[in-house]
Amino acid sequence: MMSVWSRPQFLHLGLFFAAYVLGCGFAQALAIVPGITVSIWPPGGVFIATLILTSPYSWPWWILAGCLAEMFAQFVWFHSPLPAGFLIYVGNALGAAVGATLVNRACGRPVRLESLQEVLAFVVLGAGVAPLVSATVGSATLAWFGIASQTFTAVWPLFWIGDATGILLVAPPALVVIQYWRSKTQLPPAQRVEAGVLGLIFLGVAALSLSDVYLPTPYIIMPPLLWAAARFEFRGAAVALTLLALITMALTISGDSQFVGAPEFQRERQVMLQLFLAISAFSALIVAAISRQRQLALVTSRDRERELSQLVDMVPSHVWRLAPDGEPIFFNKRMVDFLGLDVADMIKPGMSRMTAMIEAGVHPDDRAAFSDTLRHCLATGEVLAMRYRLRRQDGVYRWMSSRAEPMRDQDGRIVQWYGLCHDIDDQVHAEEALRRSERQLQETIDAVPVRIWSAKPTGGPVYFNKRYQDHFRSVIADFEALEEPRIEQLLQELIHPEDAPEVQNTLRNCFETGGMSTMRFRWREQYGAYRWAECRVEPRRNEDGEVAEWYGVSLDVDDEVRAQEALRDRERELSQLVNMVPVHIRRLTPKGEPTFFNKRLLDFFGLNDLAQLDKPDMSRLAAAITTLVHPEDAARLLETVRHSFATGEPYSMKYRMRHADGAYRWVDGRGEPVRDQSGAIMQWYAISIDIDDEMRAQEALRDRERQLQQLIDTVPVQIWCVTPGGDPAYINKTMMDYIGLKLDDFDADGGLPSAIRTIVHPEDRARLLQALTHSFSTGEPFELKFRNRRWDGSYRWTEGRAEPLRDESGRIIRWFGANVDIHDFVTSQEALQERERFLWQLVETLPAMIDCAAPDGEPVYRSQQLREFLGYELERLDGTGKSRLVGTLDAGVHPDDLAGVKGGYAHSLSTGEPYARRHRLRRFDGEYRWVETRAAPMRDTEGTIVQWNVICLDVENEVRAEEELRLAQESLARASQAASLAELSASIAHEVNQPLAAVVANSHACQRWLMAEPPNLERAQKTVERIIRDANAAADVVSRIRALFKQSGEARSSTALSGVIAEARNLMAEEAARRRVRMDIDVESDLPLVALDRVHIQQVLVNLIRNGMDAMDAVAVDRVLEVRVRRVGDLVQTQISDRGAGIEFPDKIFEPFFTTKGNGMGMGLAICRSIVESHGGRLWAENNEPQGATFVFTLPIEVKAAQ
Amino acid sequence: MTTDDHIVFIVDDDARLREALSELLDSHGIRAAAFGSASEYIGANKPDIPACLILDVELPDINGLDLQRQISKGDHPPIVFITGHGDIPSSVQAIKHGAVDFLTKPFSDADLMAAIQTALAEDRERRSARAELVALKQRYLDLTPREREVLPLVVSGLLNKQAAAELGISEVTLQIHRRNVMQKMAASSLADLVRIAQRLEIPITHSRRAGGNRA
Repeated sequence: MMSVWSRPQFLHLGLFFAAYVLGCGFAQALAIVPGITVSIWPPGGVFIATLILTSPYSWPWWILAGCLAEMFAQFVWFHSPLPAGFLIYVGNALGAAVGATLVNRACGRPVRLESLQEVLAFVVLGAGVAPLVSATVGSATLAWFGIASQTFTAVWPLFWIGDATGILLVAPPALVVIQYWRSKTQLPPAQRVEAGVLGLIFLGVAALSLSDVYLPTPYIIMPPLLWAAARFEFRGAAVALTLLALITMALTISGDSQFVGAPEFQRERQVMLQLFLAISAFSALIVAAISRQRQLALVTSRDRERELSQLVDMVPSHVWRLAPDGEPIFFNKRMVDFLGLDVADMIKPGMSRMTAMIEAGVHPDDRAAFSDTLRHCLATGEVLAMRYRLRRQDGVYRWMSSRAEPMRDQDGRIVQWYGLCHDIDDQVHAEEALRRSERQLQETIDAVPVRIWSAKPTGGPVYFNKRYQDHFRSVIADFEALEEPRIEQLLQELIHPEDAPEVQNTLRNCFETGGMSTMRFRWREQYGAYRWAECRVEPRRNEDGEVAEWYGVSLDVDDEVRAQEALRDRERELSQLVNMVPVHIRRLTPKGEPTFFNKRLLDFFGLNDLAQLDKPDMSRLAAAITTLVHPEDAARLLETVRHSFATGEPYSMKYRMRHADGAYRWVDGRGEPVRDQSGAIMQWYAISIDIDDEMRAQEALRDRERQLQQLIDTVPVQIWCVTPGGDPAYINKTMMDYIGLKLDDFDADGGLPSAIRTIVHPEDRARLLQALTHSFSTGEPFELKFRNRRWDGSYRWTEGRAEPLRDESGRIIRWFGANVDIHDFVTSQEALQERERFLWQLVETLPAMIDCAAPDGEPVYRSQQLREFLGYELERLDGTGKSRLVGTLDAGVHPDDLAGVKGGYAHSLSTGEPYARRHRLRRFDGEYRWVETRAAPMRDTEGTIVQWNVICLDVENEVRAEEELRLAQESLARASQAASLAELSASIAHEVNQPLAAVVANSHACQRWLMAEPPNLERAQKTVERIIRDANAAADVVSRIRALFKQSGEARSSTALSGVIAEARNLMAEEAARRRVRMDIDVESDLPLVALDRVHIQQVLVNLIRNGMDAMDAVAVDRVLEVRVRRVGDLVQTQISDRGAGIEFPDKIFEPFFTTKGNGMGMGLAICRSIVESHGGRLWAENNEPQGATFVFTLPIEVKAAQ
Repeated sequence: MTTDDHIVFIVDDDARLREALSELLDSHGIRAAAFGSASEYIGANKPDIPACLILDVELPDINGLDLQRQISKGDHPPIVFITGHGDIPSSVQAIKHGAVDFLTKPFSDADLMAAIQTALAEDRERRSARAELVALKQRYLDLTPREREVLPLVVSGLLNKQAAAELGISEVTLQIHRRNVMQKMAASSLADLVRIAQRLEIPITHSRRAGGNRA
C-alpha cells in the first residue's frame, strides 16, 4: 500500500496546507456580498494545480491535507456546521480531482499550457467542468443546511463562477511558478526592462481603471494585460493576472472598487466582479498560449533553415549561384575554402564579378574557353558543362568538372543559375597516365628486334611494325609505291619459292580454322640472300570466343637451322662408326628404353631388328633384359640400370647375356648418360664387352680364396699381415670386428705408424713401434703386450705375436701376426695387486696398532704404528731364546699386568676364543700407557686357525679420563651426601627446636605465674598443659622423620643382589684404597633375584661399608672389610664385617640420634633399618670375636607386601 | 596489669610459639601482639607507641630477613630475631641491618627479656629524637622567607654587618630579623641556634673570614 500511495514530502504538504488556508482567508476577505459565502474561491485553483502537478498516487495525501486546511478555515472564518463544511469540502475535492484528471487526460503529463489546445482544455475542463461538480455539491449542501437561507438555484451560479474564477486566477500562476522554478530560465536584460515598464503601466492603469473614480470601466486594463500575455507568454499572463486579482481584491475589500456599491446591487456586482476576473484570465491565457505557439513555430523554422544551410556547406562539392546576367551571388563554404575567396572578394572596380572571378580562379589556359562557354550558356539558357582548371587557395590548379543549370520562374524566365563543381583532378591525371603508357607500348613494339604484324580477321589493312616495314623497304625496291601491301603479294615477293606454297597453305588453314601455327621458311633478304625465319601466328579472341585479331611474329632462326643440319651430318658418320666397333653398343632414351643396338649386338643376339624384342605389357628395356640376360642376373641388372636411369649415375656391371646359340656368356656392361648443356640427360649409351673366359678363371680363384678367407675370419684370433716395409696389408674379420675398423679406414699413406696411432693406446705406441721396427729390421719374431683400442673406444690389453713369411730365397715377403685379447686377465691381475696395495696401506695407516700372529701366537707382522710405539722391529726379537710373543710381553707389558695378559693369551690360543684385555704397555720412551688389546682368529674354510689378528689401541687418555670422571663423580656424590645431611639436620633442628622453644617459653611463663604474688595458678595450669602438648609434639617430629624413610615399594624391581653389591664395591673402591682398607667380597653364586629398590639398598650398603671403614680408622693394620652374601632359607643374608673396635650398644645404635661418632647425626643406622624393614627384611648388629662388628641384613626372596 | 605505653609484636608461623611467647610476655606484664606471617604484620593496624618486633627468620611468605630489609626504609620498631637453627651468615646479616639481637630457639627467658628491654629503650629514644626534629622543622617552616635567608648567615658566624651587606639590608633590620629568628626557633643562645641548624641540616654557606668563598 505504501509503495502505491506514495507520500509527498511533509514540507510540500505543509506548503500546500498553508496555501490552502491562505486561499480560504482570501475568499473570506472577498466575501463582499453578505449571505453568500464566497465570491472567488482561490483554494480551488491551488487544489487543482497541485493535483495536476502531482502523481495520482499521492492524491490521498493532498486531499487529506486539503481537508484539514478547509476544516481549519471553517473553524476560523466560515463557521458553517461541521457536516456542511465537510460536505462542501468533499465537493471541492471531488471537483479538483475530476478537473485534474480531465486536464491530465486531455493534455498529457506534464501539463505545460504551452499550446492553444492545452490552454483551451485547461479552461474548459479545469475551470469549466470541474467547478460544476463542486458547485453542485456545495450549493446542494448550502441549500440543505439552509445556511444563510440560500436556495440551490440562487447559489449555484455564484458558486460555479466563484470556483471557476478561483481556478482561472490561481491555477495558472501556481503551475507557472512551479515550472518556472524548475526550469530556472533567466530573462534577457532588454526583456527585464520591458517587464518593468509594463509592470508600472499595468499597475497604473489597474489603479485608475478599477477604482471607480477615474475611469469608467475596469476592462480598460485589457491592453496591458494582453501585452504582458503576448510578450511574456505564460509567465507574464500569470503575473499580470495575479496582480490584477490582488489589486481588484484590495480595492474591493477597501471598498474603492467599482464592484462595491449599494447593497441591493451587490449580487449583480459580485457577478460582474467574477465575470471581470474570469474574462480577464481567459483572455490573457488564450493570448499567452497563441504567443507561445507562434514562438515555438519560429524556433522550429529557424532550426530547419540552419540545417539546410549546413547541408549546403557540408556537401563535398562546390555549389554556387549566379544571377541571370552571370554575376556570382553565392559560393558555398567548401568553395570559399577552396578558392580562399568569397563572392564579396570579387567586387573590383572596372570589371564584372564574373570576370574578376575568372581572372582570379581559372587557369590562364582555360580562361578564354571558360568565359566563352559561360557567355554562350547565359545567352542561350543551355546547360553549362565543362572542364577547366581552378586555382586553389594555395596556388595549385586542379581540374574541375562544372555543371550549371538555370532555374526559371513560371513564365520561363531565368531567375538564377545553380552551379555545381567538383574536383576531378585525380581522374584527369589518371587519364593522362593511361595515354602515356599506351604510347610507350607502341614504342616498345616498334623497338623490339622482332617482326610483328597484326590483321583483322575480316581482312583489311595489315599492321606491320617498324622492323617489318624496314625489312620490306630494304628488299622491295618500290615498296613505298605500294599503297596497301597485300599479304599474298608480299609472300610471293619475299619467301623462298620452295617454301612459299606451304606458308600460304598454312596461313590459309590458320585463318580458316582459327588455330595457331608455327612455320619455318626462308625470307628473302637484301641482295637476294635467303635466311631462315620462324613465324608464329596466333589469334586473339574476344569474350565471345570469336577471333578478334591475328597477331604474328617472325624471328630470324637462320643460324640455328644451319647448325642443325651440320649436326645431322655428323650423326650419320658416328652411326657408321658405332656399327663397326667390336663392342656391343646400345642407345637408350633418358628413361631407359633401348632405341638402338649396334650391328654387333644384334648379331650377338641373333636379332634383325630391335622391334623384335617388344612384348606387350612390358617396357622394351624390361623385355630385353628378361629375354636376353641370364635369369640370375636379370633382376640385378634391371635394378642397377633403373637406379642409374633414375639418378643419372653411370653404371657398370658384369652379367651374362644369351648368345644367339642359347649359351650365356659373361659380359662387362657399362652405361653412361649423355647430357645437353643444361645438364639434362638426352640419351644413355651403353656398351658391353665379352669377358666370359676371364670371368670363369676368376671365379675358380675366388672360390679358393673364399675358403681361406672363411678360415681366417672364423679363427677367434685377430690376424693381421703387413708388408716387409710395415704397411698394413690385411686384417681378418675378427680383428675388424674387434677394432671396429676396416683396413680401408686406416690412412693409406701413413703406413704402420698411422695404423698404430689409430688403434694402439698412446702410452704403448712408441714401445710397440720400436718392437715392430726391431723385428722388421732383424727378422726376429715379434711378441709384445700392449693396449689396443676396441670398437667401443675402450683400450684393452692385447698380446701380439708376429712371424715373417719368407720366399725361397729367404727374403721376407710378409709378416703375419696374431693379436689375442688378454685384457681381462691383465686387469684382474692389476686389480688384485691394487687391492693388496690398498689393504696394505690401510693396515699401515690405520690409527691403530695392528699385529698379526701365527696360529701359535708368534707375531709375524706388525703395523707401522705398533712398530713406532714399541720402538723396535719385529726381527729384533729373534734369537733371544724366547719366542717372539713371550719376548714382546716380557719386554712391554707392565709387570703388574703381565700375569693376567699371559694368562689371557694362553687361554685364547688354546681355545681359539677372541681375546680382549686392557693393560699397560711400555712405550719406546719407557712410559707405560694403557692399551686395549683385542685379538681374533682368522680361520680357513675348514675352520682351522690360520692367523691371529690383533689390534691394540692406545686408550691411555680414555682410561685417564674415565678415572678422572669417576673421581669427580665420587667427590660429587660425597658433596651431595654431605649437603643432604646438612639440610636434613637443619630441617630436623628446626622441626624439633620449634616445639622445644615453645616448651621453654611456656616453662618460664609458668614459673613467673607461680612466682607471682599471689601465684596465678589458673594460668600456670594452662601453661603446663601447653608444655606437655609441645613436648609430645617434639617427640612426634622424630617419629615423622623415621617414617620419612619408610619408602613405599613402588620403585622396586627384581634384581640380582650381586650386581648391587658390585656397584657398591666399585663406588667405595677408591675410598677403600685411600683409607687403605681391603674389601673382601664373597657373593654366593646363583643367588635368586630379590625385589628391591636399588638406590635404597645401595644406600644401605654404602652406609654400612663406610661405617665399617670408619670403625677401622683407629686400627693400624689388617684393615679388611668383608662382605658375605648367602642364601639362608628364603632369605638372602648380607653380612658386612669390620675389624674395628666393635659395638658397645648393639641394640641402641639403631635408634635415631644415637651416635658414637664425634660428628655423626645418629640417623644413618636408623634410616638403614627403616629401609631394610620397608623391604620386609631385618637389620641387626653383632660383635665379632676377637674384634670388630658385623652388620647383618636380610632380604626376602619372595616378593612380599612390605607395608 | 599490662602497660599500655609500649608493645611487643611477635611474628612467627608457629602458633604454639606465638602462644607461648604471648604468655611469657603477659607474665612479664608486657603487652604483645602476635602475627602468623610477615604480610599479616605489615597489614595490621599498629599503635604508635614504643615497640619491639620479635621476628622469626623462617616465615611462610617472606623470609624474616627480607622483611627486615623491606621495612628498613620506614620507621619501624627495633627487631629481635629468633630462629630454629641459626647460621652465622644470616645472624651477621640481621645484626648488620640493625637487629637488636639474634636468638636461637630454644632461648632463655632472660635473654629474650633483655633483648626486648634494649629494643624498647632504643625505640623510645628514636621516637623522642624524631619528635624533636619534627618540632624543629615546624618552627623552621614558621619563619618568613627573609628570616630563612638570615638564619644560615647568622649560624655561619657572619657579623651582623656582614650579613646585612650580604642581603643588602641595613644592620638594624638584620638585627630585628635575627631576634625574630632566635625567638621563633626557641633558641636560647646563638650556640643553641647553631645546634638546631645542624639538626635541620641547614648548610653553612658563608665563612666569617674574608674571601671565605675560597674554601
